[in-house]
Amino acid sequence: MTTSALAIEVDGLCKYYGAHQVLHGVNLTVKPGEKIVVCGPSGSGKSTLIRCLNKLEEHQQGRIRVLGTELNDEIDNINEIRREVGMVFQHFNLFPHLTVLENCVLAPMLVRKIDRKTAEEQAMTYLERVKIPQKAKNYPGELSGGQQQRVAIARALCMKPEIMLFDEPTSALDPEMISEVLDVMIQLAQGGMTMVCVTHEMGFARKVADRVIFMDQGKIVEDAPPADFFDNPQHERSKLFLSQILGH
Amino acid sequence: MTATTEIQAPALNDSLLDSVRRDYFSSVGRTILTLVCLALILSALWFLVNWGLVNAVWFGTPEDCHKAAGACWAVITDRYRLIFFGLYPYEEQWRSALACLAILATVILSCVPFFWSAKRLPVLWALGYGLFYFLMKGGVFGMPVVLETQWGGLALTVFVFSSTVVIGMPLAIVLALLRRSRLPVVSTVTALFIDGIRSLPLLSILFTAAIILPLTLPGFLVGDKLYRVIIGAAVFFAVYQAEIIRSGIQSLPAGQEEAATALGLNYWQTISRIVLPQAFRFALPPTINQVVIAFMETALIVILGFFEITASGNAAFSTGGWKPFHTEVYSFVALIYFVFTYSLSMYGSYLERSMKLGLR
Repeated sequence: MTTSALAIEVDGLCKYYGAHQVLHGVNLTVKPGEKIVVCGPSGSGKSTLIRCLNKLEEHQQGRIRVLGTELNDEIDNINEIRREVGMVFQHFNLFPHLTVLENCVLAPMLVRKIDRKTAEEQAMTYLERVKIPQKAKNYPGELSGGQQQRVAIARALCMKPEIMLFDEPTSALDPEMISEVLDVMIQLAQGGMTMVCVTHEMGFARKVADRVIFMDQGKIVEDAPPADFFDNPQHERSKLFLSQILGH
Repeated sequence: MTATTEIQAPALNDSLLDSVRRDYFSSVGRTILTLVCLALILSALWFLVNWGLVNAVWFGTPEDCHKAAGACWAVITDRYRLIFFGLYPYEEQWRSALACLAILATVILSCVPFFWSAKRLPVLWALGYGLFYFLMKGGVFGMPVVLETQWGGLALTVFVFSSTVVIGMPLAIVLALLRRSRLPVVSTVTALFIDGIRSLPLLSILFTAAIILPLTLPGFLVGDKLYRVIIGAAVFFAVYQAEIIRSGIQSLPAGQEEAATALGLNYWQTISRIVLPQAFRFALPPTINQVVIAFMETALIVILGFFEITASGNAAFSTGGWKPFHTEVYSFVALIYFVFTYSLSMYGSYLERSMKLGLR
């Protein structure tokens, strides 16, 4: 892997669904160790943006470089990036036919080619870190939403990624379970992980984000440190958004 | 702890008698219906026991049977080897019996989760079918050669059925995956193939395989009629099973493939570890159904001159004065079919129960 000063570089990114354009020339850079929170109204393109970063969505124009590797049509590049970029989904997407432990060792064994024993030991350390080692032998269906999401985080970490992407990780959770997931994410941020989080948890953004990115209609409207963004938003659209989500 | 009033669940002091009274005799209409049905069931049972057990003849000649009022099981005890082995040479029938057991063992072992891996299943099948072939065909270890045209009875039925499924199932998976291809040419051609075969009756496919193919194929590709017919039946099974598997794949939430992709798994790893195991769980009931249909349809090969179990049953009563006792022979053959079909459906429900744990 070529060394690069930047973890993620996005330059003039455009994305269309058929004739409908969802991203209009997005530019974004993320330094190693930086924590970015992406927010914005529904349909603003924030999920599409982070799904482009590991090519779950294909972009039509612009460039994406992740850890110095160009994200183009070359399968080797795509695979290399996917190995180094972990992702956590809104609906957890654990594999229901595998136990928690098997969920965690599958990719390290198949993709990183490490043996089962090492993979299991490593999985247990991450399961301990997300405080759920006692459920290793259970199936995902036997866990609560918050527990499942913590397992999903551990599963992504087992690949030892350089970057973690979070796509609304708490939006599908009952209110009581949000904090257990956020605690894990805060701990991860404090450990120095590079993170890009699409989330509406403004408390989390204030606490750990280095920058908050506000998107609307497929464009980045505001890109500022959380203190500036929350206390002194520059754009009318951001002010309206903040007043709506913080106003009650 | 503060004092809490314990709330008792309403007592379920339902005795068997109470529940019978409630379910079957709670109104005049119900009582009448219950009594009528009971009378029908009892009289049917009475007849069956008298005919099939009490007055039955178990051993003897057709003359003994004519004298008796009950079933003539003597035709089975006299002719069972014809039913089980067809035209297979009499002195060599132990080979057919062993071959049948080899195939049954292969089928049963294939049902055990331990063997469900890309390494173990092919080895098991190669051993099972290899053993069957050498036992049936002979020509090695001093066993005289018996040609495919003389194979028959239960061994043939089980061989044709299991080969159809063993060839047809992998083919079905390939077809289902090709039909989901992102390349429009591949998916369209596969869809046309599947729909094309589905628009043909099985009978016409079997006739084509048995009679028309040899006219068009080069000599070295023709092979025995039996194998051509098995390939035909397997293709027919595969196109239906492909659609069943595809429906199973479509029941998967889109997030499953996305999660596997995001973890860096490649296409085959995603398909074999994430997609297919879950798709088969969703598709299990229709899959078992399709397998049962494949078993019943083996009877069709009789019109191509194969002596499978229905045909050899036919032969069993058509000579030697046994003609009036076709009911007994057909009952016996039906019982064999039932044992197979019922075992398949019991296996299906066992799988459904044991797989439920993972999918809640």
